[in-house]
Amino acid sequence: MIHEDMICPFCGCLCDDLVIETKGTEVVRVDNACTLGSHKLMNAGKHRLKGPIMRDSGQWRDASYEEAIEYAAGILLDADRPLLYGWSSTQGEAQGTGVSMAELLGGVIDSTTSVCHGPSILAIQEVGHPGCTLGQVKNRADLIVYWGCNPTEAHPRHMSRYTTYADGYFLENAFRDRKLILVDVRKTETASIADEFVQVKPGGDYAVLSALRAIVRGREDVVPPTVAGVTKEQLLRVAALCKEAKFGALFFGVGLTMSPGKYKNVRNAIELVDELNRHTKFTLTPLRGHYNVYGSNEVFTWMTGYPYAVDFSRQIAFYNPGETTAVDLMARKECDAALIVASDPGAHFPKKCLEHLASIPTVLIDPMHTMTTPLVKCQIPTAVTGMDAPGTAYRMDGVPIHVKKFLDLGYPTDTEIIGKIFEKVKEVRHP
Amino acid sequence: MKALFNTGRTVAQGQGLEVKARPEYMEATSICMMNPVDLMDLDLEEGERVLVRGPAGEVVLTTVQNEGIPRGTVYVPMGPYANAVVDTETHATGMPDFKSCIVDLEPTDDEVKSQTELMEAVGGLAYRGDEE
Amino acid sequence: MSELLVKNAYVIDPINHIDGEVMDIAVKDGYIVEDVGPKATVLDAEGCLTLPGGVDSHTHVCGTKVNFGRYMSPEDMRAGREVRRGVKHATSGYSVPTTYANSYRYALMGYTTLLEGAMAPLEARHTHEEFSATPLQDMMANTLFDGNWAVMKAVAEGDIERVAAIVGWTLSAVKGFGIKLTNPGGTEAWGYGKDISCIKDEVPHFGVTPAEIIEAMIQACEMLRLPHSVHLHCNNLGTPGNYACTIGTFNLVPDLNKTRQSLYATHVQFHSYGGSDWKTFCSKAEPVAYTVNNLPQIVIDMGQVMFGKTTTMTADGPMEFNLYRLHHNKWSNHDVELETGSGIIPVLYRKKNLVNSIMWSIGLELALLVKDPWRCLLTTDNPNGAPFVKYPEIIALLMSKKYRDAEFATVNRRTESRVILPALEREMDWNEIAVMTRAGQAKALGITGIGKGHLGIGAEADIAVYPLKVGEIDPAQEYQKIIDGFSKTRWTVKRGRPVARDGEILVHGENTTIWVDPKISPEHDMSHDPEFTEMFNHWYSVRMSNYPVQDEYLKRNLRIETEATI
Repeated sequence: MIHEDMICPFCGCLCDDLVIETKGTEVVRVDNACTLGSHKLMNAGKHRLKGPIMRDSGQWRDASYEEAIEYAAGILLDADRPLLYGWSSTQGEAQGTGVSMAELLGGVIDSTTSVCHGPSILAIQEVGHPGCTLGQVKNRADLIVYWGCNPTEAHPRHMSRYTTYADGYFLENAFRDRKLILVDVRKTETASIADEFVQVKPGGDYAVLSALRAIVRGREDVVPPTVAGVTKEQLLRVAALCKEAKFGALFFGVGLTMSPGKYKNVRNAIELVDELNRHTKFTLTPLRGHYNVYGSNEVFTWMTGYPYAVDFSRQIAFYNPGETTAVDLMARKECDAALIVASDPGAHFPKKCLEHLASIPTVLIDPMHTMTTPLVKCQIPTAVTGMDAPGTAYRMDGVPIHVKKFLDLGYPTDTEIIGKIFEKVKEVRHP
Repeated sequence: MKALFNTGRTVAQGQGLEVKARPEYMEATSICMMNPVDLMDLDLEEGERVLVRGPAGEVVLTTVQNEGIPRGTVYVPMGPYANAVVDTETHATGMPDFKSCIVDLEPTDDEVKSQTELMEAVGGLAYRGDEE
Repeated sequence: MSELLVKNAYVIDPINHIDGEVMDIAVKDGYIVEDVGPKATVLDAEGCLTLPGGVDSHTHVCGTKVNFGRYMSPEDMRAGREVRRGVKHATSGYSVPTTYANSYRYALMGYTTLLEGAMAPLEARHTHEEFSATPLQDMMANTLFDGNWAVMKAVAEGDIERVAAIVGWTLSAVKGFGIKLTNPGGTEAWGYGKDISCIKDEVPHFGVTPAEIIEAMIQACEMLRLPHSVHLHCNNLGTPGNYACTIGTFNLVPDLNKTRQSLYATHVQFHSYGGSDWKTFCSKAEPVAYTVNNLPQIVIDMGQVMFGKTTTMTADGPMEFNLYRLHHNKWSNHDVELETGSGIIPVLYRKKNLVNSIMWSIGLELALLVKDPWRCLLTTDNPNGAPFVKYPEIIALLMSKKYRDAEFATVNRRTESRVILPALEREMDWNEIAVMTRAGQAKALGITGIGKGHLGIGAEADIAVYPLKVGEIDPAQEYQKIIDGFSKTRWTVKRGRPVARDGEILVHGENTTIWVDPKISPEHDMSHDPEFTEMFNHWYSVRMSNYPVQDEYLKRNLRIETEATI
């Protein structure tokens, strides 16, 4: 069977033009996807955990869904400070149920945002966000800046769908007419096609952004001959390219959010873009990783007022990143039970967090055997949204996409499983 | 040798992401990419192993040379190996220092641990029910 | 089968010409009926003021831009937090409350039907997700067409039928309610950082003017027989001297519809400014209101500004950037490809500030100078002029000259020479307030026929009982009682069920989304139009097949099918 206009549930690009051919429960062909998306989709039905598993006296054993759901509800109800973490690779509908459950439990709900673009959100909360949808960039931008990111490896179709290699309505010869600036601490493959590759000394992004702001404001006199390894000549060229562009679009990655300065780097980038808007049109977009991490921010926000790290222990929604974020909660050994949904802290959290995670009762809702599996007491496999379950996801620019299903493997969805756990919780803890 | 420890995404790491229990993911994430000159200074050939000691612990990685990486920096794909050395301090931002901790490098003949060993070292229990 | 009887209600129901009659209202299965049985639940209104459920014909409560306002403003979220209790969820937010908070606070004020003022078609799914999360009001979405490429191209070709066909296809696809034009042409120009100053400017690249877009859309709207008229946010919002542009726009509007206006102009306060710069800024409410009084085909809403903190958010991206340059606070912008734009900044309207004081006066002047309350509706363009929780204060200001004078004495002293507010003696009566807050709004939206905005037999049983005894209060003197009374209903009944009582939320309900599905002849069906589909698949960043909002996004909904003439 051939499925057209399918949506790739891998990264925040949410490409929606895939063609997937299936024979029974096998995927035999994937067209239009990048190497990451293809790899995920070609293996759609493979490597799934067959059913729930639980740990019993030092051994793993199979369990029924009912038993696993009962266990999950039990540990959450017994906990004083349950943490509900993950949420970026699942349906918006599941995210909403998760928020309601966290609220009733008086727990903390956080998404993978906190170890990805959390600092970008902190910056946006200080100075705002001049952005746009990706089609706006595709049709208009004659200057693309990638800063602290590597689209070739992390968002392989970003350049062909939305930037460098995409057709643009207002550009006669889009590839030739669009300039590309790449800023990074290491020379990646993307550098070879850039008009300017700006190699910043690690930790120097903030200073380079400040220097560019000064130049754009007409104060190049205060800029020293080199800034974090970048020559003043190059900074002047970059600033001129930005000001001369009719429409500039800056994309940035975790190279800004994870390096020294963290959210202050992003704040400086936003303020540079603000400044450039006094001269021309300029926008900025964080390159979001997981396909629906932005959806978790959207859903959390309309339900609680905050995009991530929401603590309901006071019966109000309380938000204090650094305190109510997952890494900090685990590092302080504060949470005493955890429900991990559609994410893999086992692979992505510092070791000390994992030591705590392994020491408390935990349930993982995830289709695959992951790095987190050995750390939990119970795992419940579910359908993968975008393969054997439909659902809502938000693209990195905020465009909501209905992700479609093309397989039927008989697994329950995340929404169903979390809904059932929530039902059990509600039997004990009445609203 | 002291070096800045940078972590991030790679295509191989991204492909392995969906099925992390498999050897491809271990191969993709247990590497230490570094400038050839730094490699020479450590008296190592590409493919030989290095012990990385960071704020939160140590880990053995296989070296890969990469001219795009400046001297004094090592690049390790995000994953459980990188996280064996990264500390939990977030400076009140929620975000650990994934790109800014300083590590100590020295050549080693020790083997690279499997992901299972890493997870068991922090108190986990390997699941083998799906092994073919 | 549920039955309810609201006894001893002092009813004002302008659509049914009831002005202060003590009566019983019988409700069965969510609708108003002649009579109910003896087992019906009884609510004794004890002679309190009873009105049809409130209708807000222009508010920003759900969707991409609203949610971004929350996302970027933890300080605003902290300003509106309440604990979870019973069926009531925890809430956050003062000027941009969470979906639950919006719904609860509107319900406590007796509002049961809301029109989200601006939905970008590309992001419609988001609006509908938030609609579904709004438990106590029925929702509609005005759909943005101000910078729609396909529309502008059809306008340039002079093909009004094609304009109507594009609008009809889009409304059906995104489950929208009506046509919204926000700074027509200006949002497209903003794509390259430019703006449009008034209706005769040409939109860059597209060769059309805002005037041509507005005129074409008014005609297309009638061809599609939409319940609501074109809903316009004029060009040049918020700039000194813009009143001339506003009047020029109004004079374009033909009278095409016998049952309602042909143009709804929103938040006209922001468009009634005189002066040539901020130093000479003054009120031009008088000529604007005069124009409205002479053109029965136009209905406006106030867009009242109230003092205090709020967040401004509009599809008018260029205007928000200008505002940012004045306020220097944080600024967000979000252009939507081929369609529209948007911007958000937090603001603080201060009594000490001359411009803010004049703005405050202008909204009130418009309401007092437009003679017919059916043609000037009470709004704040929530949250742009003020959060909707300020409505009771506005009601009190309109009902009491004494209150206006008391407030006027506290604003910037130089305001007096720039406005005419102190000279206006008019004090609105209860019936006029009922018109401006529900009956007139429902009529302007064209939803009286589906039982909104009135209490006649067959109407939806959306009822607000306020703790106000009409005969015992003098609104002109006791304005604090008016504010308190309209802030919290004694009972709010939604679809026949009491949902709020004395400031308490009683149930977690389910909204109805009202949308319009124009029935268009096959030869005008855009889904097979080669040029349209080509444009879609080439220039949008989503495939045409992935664009329409699937039925599952509308939990409970009312589809209004219209018989288009094309």
